[in-house]
Amino acid sequence: MKHKLFALLSLFVLASMILSACGGTATEAPATEAPATEAPTAVATEAPAACAPAGTEPIAFPDGGKSVTGAFDQEPDSIVPYFTQMSFAVWVTQLTLVGLAEWDDQSNFVPELAAEIPTTENGGVSADGLTITWKLKDCLFWSDGTPLTSADVKFTWEAIVDPGNAVATKTGYDKIASVETPDDLTVVLNFAELYPPWQTLFTQGPNNSGAILPVHILGGQTALESNDFIHQPTVGTGPFVITEWVPGDFMTLLPNPNFFAGRAILDRVQIRFVADSAAALAALQTGDVDWYPNYSEGDIATISALEPDVKLTVVAGSDFEHYFFNLGRVDGVDGRGKADNEGFCPFKDINVRKAITLGINRQAIVDTLLSGFTAVPVSQWPNTAWTNTNLTVEGYDPDAAAALLDTAGYTLGADGVRVGDCNGVSTKLSFNFETTTAPIRIDAATAVQADLAKIGVEFTPIHTPAGTFFGQYVDGGPLTTGNYDMGGYTTGFYPDPYTDNFQCESVPNAEKPDGTNWYHNCDPFLSDLIDSSLGTVDTAARKAIMDEAQKYIAENYYVIPMYARGDVFGSTPRFIFGPMGPQSNINWNAELWDVQE
Amino acid sequence: MWSYITRRTVQALFTLLIITVLCFLLTRFSGDPLAQYAANPRMSAEDKAALRERLGLNQPLPIQYFKWLGLALQGDLGQSFFSKQPVSEMIAQRLPNTLILMFTTEIVTVSIALVLGILSAVKQYSATDNIITSFSFVGYSIPIFFSALGLMLIFAVQFKEWGLPYLPTGAAVWDKKDPVEYIKNLILPVSALVIVQTAGYSRFVRSSMLEVLGLDYVRTARAKGLTSKVVLYKHALRNAALPLVTLVGLDIPFLLGGAIVTESVYSWPGMGRLFWEYAQRSDYPVVLGVLLIVSTAVVVFTIITDVLYTFVDPRIRLS
Repeated sequence: MKHKLFALLSLFVLASMILSACGGTATEAPATEAPATEAPTAVATEAPAACAPAGTEPIAFPDGGKSVTGAFDQEPDSIVPYFTQMSFAVWVTQLTLVGLAEWDDQSNFVPELAAEIPTTENGGVSADGLTITWKLKDCLFWSDGTPLTSADVKFTWEAIVDPGNAVATKTGYDKIASVETPDDLTVVLNFAELYPPWQTLFTQGPNNSGAILPVHILGGQTALESNDFIHQPTVGTGPFVITEWVPGDFMTLLPNPNFFAGRAILDRVQIRFVADSAAALAALQTGDVDWYPNYSEGDIATISALEPDVKLTVVAGSDFEHYFFNLGRVDGVDGRGKADNEGFCPFKDINVRKAITLGINRQAIVDTLLSGFTAVPVSQWPNTAWTNTNLTVEGYDPDAAAALLDTAGYTLGADGVRVGDCNGVSTKLSFNFETTTAPIRIDAATAVQADLAKIGVEFTPIHTPAGTFFGQYVDGGPLTTGNYDMGGYTTGFYPDPYTDNFQCESVPNAEKPDGTNWYHNCDPFLSDLIDSSLGTVDTAARKAIMDEAQKYIAENYYVIPMYARGDVFGSTPRFIFGPMGPQSNINWNAELWDVQE
Repeated sequence: MWSYITRRTVQALFTLLIITVLCFLLTRFSGDPLAQYAANPRMSAEDKAALRERLGLNQPLPIQYFKWLGLALQGDLGQSFFSKQPVSEMIAQRLPNTLILMFTTEIVTVSIALVLGILSAVKQYSATDNIITSFSFVGYSIPIFFSALGLMLIFAVQFKEWGLPYLPTGAAVWDKKDPVEYIKNLILPVSALVIVQTAGYSRFVRSSMLEVLGLDYVRTARAKGLTSKVVLYKHALRNAALPLVTLVGLDIPFLLGGAIVTESVYSWPGMGRLFWEYAQRSDYPVVLGVLLIVSTAVVVFTIITDVLYTFVDPRIRLS
């Protein structure tokens, strides 16, 4: 019996190895040899002569070619960006399917497939702001050699708004009434109403992702979410094309012969799916992988200690961690923005909010937890052209904070916690702070707890998994239901400053469970002010409105900008990549990636 | 016999039903699958509501469950919320990798455990026994993430730094059709698992052997003048290993679930990582699919083991 069992075990292993070898899990696209005349490491700047494609297949990896391997700890779900909101998927999109324009390392909005950025001066933006005209570059080709024309852009819009396709978001695209294509190189977007963040459509930015889809492959089809091309596009417009993808294991990308900016310098990019940052770090040390893009700020010191074997790159992003007060009012304000739960009473007093802001040593958090790589933001939109540069960060001042609490009528109790009268009820300055379980959040909250204890405020952090913290209204998510006192998470610039997080009409309640005003703060002046930014496409006018909104939010201490988040990259010294900025990661110009042995 | 098997099968179906309910509730209450989109201002409230409706998450939980169960009974484990791939396809892609890792581990573990267990029992209370016992307890006490990471740091990272031949971390892209590469990449994950599992198994073999060595028939065999080797391997081990065979048999279904920590540390594309990766995203069709496969295997193998026992040990009768 025992022998039989072992024989059975051996059979299992043998069968598994055969299954694995036969696999069939990888889908390989054919690849051709690189044209002999092509210089393998040169980046062409000219379009193919006489509008002919340089090839019809990805360029095969030559013996001894230049190759890098990245490590991702999440496997992308769908590469076509309209069907996913996953960062790792969007990073692969940047390598394979580009948009009309993108933001560069200097936060400039620069053309990709487009010949130029539409402006009022060049006639790209109509006087009423309702018509945007994009001009495409000459001689654009898909990686399979098919011409890329305005028809592809029009098809992309049709696919997004087609109710038969389950896209993740139609935001903005649903404001377009029609798309005209007077010729192969011109796309006219006719908006039904003003949509000032039009730059976020069909383009790629820090937190938006667009791409142009191929009408010659997807045209006439519906239910695209289940289409193989959406999951794994084998034809593209980016510097590379996916040629092999073994689920759970790795993907291989080879150069696109028809990329608009010329052939990529590298001959191959591979992306290996690893479980976490620890596995990636060991692999970086041995050179098994060349870069990992998803370290947290808490890893800075660890990676820094491994230099120069592992190269650390930290770029302050446009996202930032913010703490905020629950200002919910069950009666709303003038009948607007009714919340289901009343916020913590003392927070309605601006002196209390200001005292808590001044009582937190935010710079110390930046210096210790972020190793000084980022900064305390001044406002809602740090590190961008929309920042109100007239604002300054109010520094740590526990004495002023204590004085403010005295003024507000909260005096120290026997247990060291302040007590005062709030709407006729004796109330202790003791409240909960809810956030996720991310290590940096735990460390930061612990530091804040210690700071606030010094001014007689009892701040009790509660860390819940992100799935629960951001849970939907019907599941009792604390943010949506307003069942919290203070909260904290990361928000930012996406990449237009318009937000509905302060609107009275966005306060979530039983009737509007999907409302996004998780501060539950209905301030009619602020709500209307931000909404007024949607009344014009004039950038200067919008900047003035946003400056005022930032000033108003700061002066009322509605939120506490804690620290700008950093994009933390680890790489091997051999991997050479271009500069990054707050609105661009390393993928924005992947055609220039190189290796130096 | 047949009435026993029928009765156990019916019981097993009820058990599986209860397991699916529990797993469904645990998965659904562990987090909102759309929570990752919650703080994304690019998705409007309407976008989120539409997505929720498309995924069926707006329906009452019992309806969501029965819909899933109805399809599962027809052999359709559904589609991943996020990758849109059929769950059965995703499992089929990962299962061979897990089977290779886990069965290799099991074979190595049992082989080493037999040697150490017998040695420990034969030389009871000797220095050898004490050393094996001490290492067993150490191995059993070390958390798997520690041993897995420790082995990687020593034999991959440090060995490379010291200029010695080093083993791969598993994170490189390697050719799975090359047997040499395969074995090189298997060494560290298998070792990490073997360290923990051998400790338990060897103690089991030791105590089983000690029990058998004290029995009359072994003494009789010795009295007959048989060599100690024959007594040990032909008489004692056969009976002592019997419970071990049962133990291994019961462990087999759990092997299908893979090893979450080890597969994660060594980037092994198996079932454990599939489960963990999608559990983190509350993608419950995938999570439930994996759990259903593993629990079905556990239930089925338990019945098979019960039935096989009657053949192995005639004293046991099923009624």
